[in-house]
Amino acid sequence: MASHCTISPRLRLCTRCLHQLQIKPSYYKYLSTAAATTPAPPMHQLTSSPPPLARFPPTQPPSHKPPAFRKSQLHRQYTSLLRSNPVLLLFQHNNLKASEWISIRRELHLALQKTDQALSTDVASAIRLQAIQAGIFESALLVADHYNPSQHAHPGTLPPHPTDPSTQSSAQIANHTPNPYDPTLTHSLSTHAYISVAPHKRSHPLRVLLSGPLAVLSFPTVSPQHMRAALSILSPKAPIFAAPLRRTNPGYHDAITQAGLQKLMFLGARVEGRICDLEGARWIGALEGGMEGLRGQLVGMLQGFGAGVTRALESAGRSLWFTVEGRRTMLEEEEKGGDGEVKEGS
Amino acid sequence: MITKYIAAVTTRFNPFKKPSKTCRVFLAHLPADARMKMKINTTVLGRDSQEPSFLKLTFKDGKEMQLDTEKLKINDVVVEVDRHSRTLNRVADLEPL
Repeated sequence: MASHCTISPRLRLCTRCLHQLQIKPSYYKYLSTAAATTPAPPMHQLTSSPPPLARFPPTQPPSHKPPAFRKSQLHRQYTSLLRSNPVLLLFQHNNLKASEWISIRRELHLALQKTDQALSTDVASAIRLQAIQAGIFESALLVADHYNPSQHAHPGTLPPHPTDPSTQSSAQIANHTPNPYDPTLTHSLSTHAYISVAPHKRSHPLRVLLSGPLAVLSFPTVSPQHMRAALSILSPKAPIFAAPLRRTNPGYHDAITQAGLQKLMFLGARVEGRICDLEGARWIGALEGGMEGLRGQLVGMLQGFGAGVTRALESAGRSLWFTVEGRRTMLEEEEKGGDGEVKEGS
Repeated sequence: MITKYIAAVTTRFNPFKKPSKTCRVFLAHLPADARMKMKINTTVLGRDSQEPSFLKLTFKDGKEMQLDTEKLKINDVVVEVDRHSRTLNRVADLEPL
């Protein structure tokens, strides 16, 4: 009877420790009857201690601000947006209606898809226009620009293992105390991120733009062709960034789209960490042939440079050859002339 | 802010300068259908431009209001605009139908 009933856990134990207890039930069989004497712990418990419970699951590390808040999640989202998108175009949206947003997004998507087809790429679906919260975006900008998690990661050596016998009992084991300064917690919402960014507060060059209602258009790659397509929809200018014709794209000249576009104002751009204004963004968008074209130009320039160097190095040898050759022919002629004179004289 | 008596808005600013915030927030204060009811002329200057920002309003009674946005904050602008709009409102209320 006693062997069938299980011992009610008076002590709260972690699942692994409980498992260790359950694999050797014979030691504890008489716990219910033996009231006065306590048996010695088994050998495997003397040599190694059961691992302590991890405080936080790896997918839910503790956050500096409460993680359930919308602002914490937005901060996380913006940091990831900034880290994964090298090109961001900032717009101010002045009371756009939902229908206007829809039609602007539709036109933008159409133009980008057309560029995708021309270049046989697949980035149009990843280029997104979204409204952002300026204050949280500024904080995320600081984390993305000034916080490097690898600086706060463990230096070379591994942290002490909790069940290793050589680990001292006083050793600080990561993630087993509710300590926000734990060195293993290096995500962008961590206290480490907050502290390392604090000295840079209010100093970001994009800070002046971050007020009022803002929207951001994010590009996952630096592609001048896609930038050109987006700018020709959102802020057209005649020769290079010409708006689509009414005949080819009647949806763009729709009253709703035009009303929305009038209220969308281009402010600035962030391209690979650099800040530029509308002219700068247009300069990037106007690069002929995109990044490939630019690389081709560079290769051509370097090749031309190489040929020039070869010619310059060659010219010294060649001029020497010409001089020596000239001298040789001169001497030969002289010799011939001398011979002739001798013949004439004899 | 009472925007119903504004007939035209002309503004010019460099968004990379701090005082431009007043102009930008003023534009954001205008209602969604503002562009159908009034004439809005916005010039966004380049990053290196040193021109001061300005905001010029024309009301429906013909009064022109030039606001120095280098000094005024958005709340001051709203107070200025509302002061004149309220007088126009009062006149409109007293008018016989």
